[in-house]
Amino acid sequence: MSRISEQSRIDPRLLELLVCPLTKGRLEWDGVRSELVSRSARLAYPVRDGIPVLLPSEARTLEDEG
Amino acid sequence: METVFDLDALRAHKRRALKQAQPGADFLMAHAAEELGDRLATVSRRFDRAATIFCNSPHAAQVLRESGKVEEVIRVEADEALLNGEPGIVALPETVPFEPASLDLAVSLLSLHEVNDLPGLLVQIRRALKPDGLFLACMAGAGTLSELRESLLAAESELGGVSPRVSPFVEVRDAGGLLQRAGFALPVSDADTLTVRYDSLLGLANDLRAMGASNALAERSRQPMSRALLYRAAQIYGERFADPDGRVRASFTLLWMSGWAPAASQPKPLKPGSATVSLAEALAKK
Repeated sequence: MSRISEQSRIDPRLLELLVCPLTKGRLEWDGVRSELVSRSARLAYPVRDGIPVLLPSEARTLEDEG
Repeated sequence: METVFDLDALRAHKRRALKQAQPGADFLMAHAAEELGDRLATVSRRFDRAATIFCNSPHAAQVLRESGKVEEVIRVEADEALLNGEPGIVALPETVPFEPASLDLAVSLLSLHEVNDLPGLLVQIRRALKPDGLFLACMAGAGTLSELRESLLAAESELGGVSPRVSPFVEVRDAGGLLQRAGFALPVSDADTLTVRYDSLLGLANDLRAMGASNALAERSRQPMSRALLYRAAQIYGERFADPDGRVRASFTLLWMSGWAPAASQPKPLKPGSATVSLAEALAKK
């Protein structure tokens, strides 16, 4: 897990600061998919080359996982 | 909320400008960045974490890093291309994707004049700031491109059919109120006018395109500007705004704003009626 996080080169301190631009809700880091997940907006934002891309147009819509 | 700006067009214009990379077309940004450095130099404190909010260029972040007053700088842009491989965050335009009270300094250069909901964006910035965090920004204000606006309007009314071509801009006297409404303490605004000279309107239009400032108004005409209109406008511009040597003037008003996120330690006016000495007594004392 930590290995994957290292590869995606995202600063964990940066992650703590970020919120979903739409809902201002928390973002959870998914190191496997390299995504920032906003449960409140049901969107997963990509992180590309260490750059969080908080654009709904680029995000993956979350399926029902319940 | 009224949509004044077409966000897709704004993004396309910034991308085109980046690709074009016309040397010198960033003169306004360079000027604003230098001024930012001067203004920051007068602030006697250090900032742990700063963010540059949609500055469309690395200028502001560079000034902050070189100021020696800022520990960490985070760039936020609306497009990955604008980060140009530098670290940063891409966020939806007009949103500030930070936890409340997470920044010590927020800076915006030359982009707040291109937002649909300026009061909303200012509130988001204030919330992202820690108590006693500083917001420092500069945007194009009223008076910007007034010569171009007048010439285009005159030419269009002669040829028939007027459409919006130059953005509406905030008046300096309204900027303080905007900051206050957004909850900033100790708001200050002032303006600085820059006059640039060109051979003709065409040179100005070329620079505007190269700085990504082409018309992005939602209500703009989708037809390309006709040659007849362009030439008539250039003619009127030359008649009304030329210097004796034939070169024409273009005005840019840089509206500067600063405000602090409220904190208990800041000076505040006393409550009315809370004085312990009457005014007459205070005046009588010599």
